[in-house]
Amino acid sequence: MAPIAAVFYREGKIRVTNLTFIFWDLFYPLGYMLVFGVGVNYALGSPFPTGGVDYNAFFLAGVLGMASFGIAANTAWGFFLDRDNGIFYEMLTYPLSRAEYLLGKVLFNVLVATLQAAITVGLGSIFLGIRIHFDLLPLLFLGVMGGTAGWFFFYAIFALKIRRNDLFNSVTSVFYFVFLFASSIFYPLEPLPAWFRAAALANPVTWQVDFLRFSSIGIGEPRRIAVEAAAFAVFSLASFAYAVRCLQQQE
Amino acid sequence: MSEAALEVENLVKVYHSRRQPPVRAVDGMSFSVARGTIFGLLGPNGAGKTTILKALTTLNRPTAGRARVLGFDVVAQPLEVRRRISVVLQETAIEQFLSVRDNLLTFARFHGLDSALARRRTEEVLERFHLAPEADRKAIDLSGGYRRRVQVAKVFMVTTPVLFLDEFSTGMDPILKRAVMGYLREEARQGRTIMLTTQILSEAEELCDDILIMNKGRQVARGDLHALKLLSEGVYEVAITFERLPETIEAEIARLAPLRMKINQNTVELTLKAEEGRVLELVSELARNRRVLRVEVSGASLEDIFVELTQEK
Repeated sequence: MAPIAAVFYREGKIRVTNLTFIFWDLFYPLGYMLVFGVGVNYALGSPFPTGGVDYNAFFLAGVLGMASFGIAANTAWGFFLDRDNGIFYEMLTYPLSRAEYLLGKVLFNVLVATLQAAITVGLGSIFLGIRIHFDLLPLLFLGVMGGTAGWFFFYAIFALKIRRNDLFNSVTSVFYFVFLFASSIFYPLEPLPAWFRAAALANPVTWQVDFLRFSSIGIGEPRRIAVEAAAFAVFSLASFAYAVRCLQQQE
Repeated sequence: MSEAALEVENLVKVYHSRRQPPVRAVDGMSFSVARGTIFGLLGPNGAGKTTILKALTTLNRPTAGRARVLGFDVVAQPLEVRRRISVVLQETAIEQFLSVRDNLLTFARFHGLDSALARRRTEEVLERFHLAPEADRKAIDLSGGYRRRVQVAKVFMVTTPVLFLDEFSTGMDPILKRAVMGYLREEARQGRTIMLTTQILSEAEELCDDILIMNKGRQVARGDLHALKLLSEGVYEVAITFERLPETIEAEIARLAPLRMKINQNTVELTLKAEEGRVLELVSELARNRRVLRVEVSGASLEDIFVELTQEK
């Protein structure tokens, strides 16, 4: 555990040198929820045609999923910063395995994502009246933590394979567009055309968001949610294994 | 337990890249380094020095052959190797957004030092490297020379038995460089094995107990400074200072086919490979009927040996 704790310590040290970053990380999902979510909620009216809840409640899981996705991308971008500072290769000579390095790197950001989820869920419940299934909160936090880690491992593959940060930025822009819009973040999938629905159902963002939606407001069919959660776990483990391999191939 | 600190056997490293022919950076190198020595790996740009250092520090995987650090194989037991080494890489490696003190503390944490020991060592190293006044400044605000100083200072935070330094003195001022060389000698006396790569030959001459010169991925010479000088027996450095530099001197020297020649104002420096008597004759010829202020003839320096062994034939 000590090597993972050392990477965690390092990530934390770096992050707390910029409190604006911390503030932004913790509160920006709330911004999405209070601005975009409330705007759409008023435009669509209530109740929203899924599960008998309003759009604010429906969008809560989307906001949390989007935040996981964003934190993971930013954390993976840190590889470029480390390369520019020359510290990346030096760190690879420190007494820790490549897997420990990746786990430590994501751990601090998993903590941030969890705090962020707690703030978003808490304030969503208080100010927007979202009826949270508090008994399922442990599952919700598990979904946020697993989701952030899984997406980080996925992004790490590209950050380690691609040596140019401008190219990586282009890739993440495409990913944001494809993964976030072809998913259940913003809208229910049922009314969508078949091809769109098929694409969204094959999208790991949908798997994570459906899990978060179930564990926050209780919407979703448990058996399907379980299958999606298992699929996301496989996706995360495969991404982790391949990211470790990519890290081993860094020369 | 292995007697040698570093063992390299038939090491080959080939780099492949798209649309480029493969590059054989290291081509069957074998050597071992005894514990507690300062070992210098010398060679011109592209000789393969950094590639070997990367293999020994687990940063790359050899294409063929083996490398071991304190008996641990760099491919099969990379973590065991990393537990026993600290590394100063060629490029400046620093945590830009952390203070100098936090850079040292973070490094210590990675190497498993407990908090109290890490803090005590940090203060010692800050003093030793004259970094105390900068301790709370972020690395991003430091000059390049200071960043390099922090990078080198880090490896004195820990007592890993093997230390790798890749061109460690780049960007360092001469006073600090001298001090660091003193620290390195002290570390070696205490049993630490130090491997350094450098192109500054006076540095290697002054510091290394054991030197390996390589070129194009292969060993061209090996031994301590004395042994290397024997390799280059018959090589002499000559310096002649004239009152006025003769106009034809360049052509005269060219006829002697020197290994190296440099003219600076009215001083001519050349390296000749010939028997001692012949060298003195040649010097006399150059000085004949001219007013000479100073003549100096000495045995070859490491630089001469290096040039002779690595220059394009």
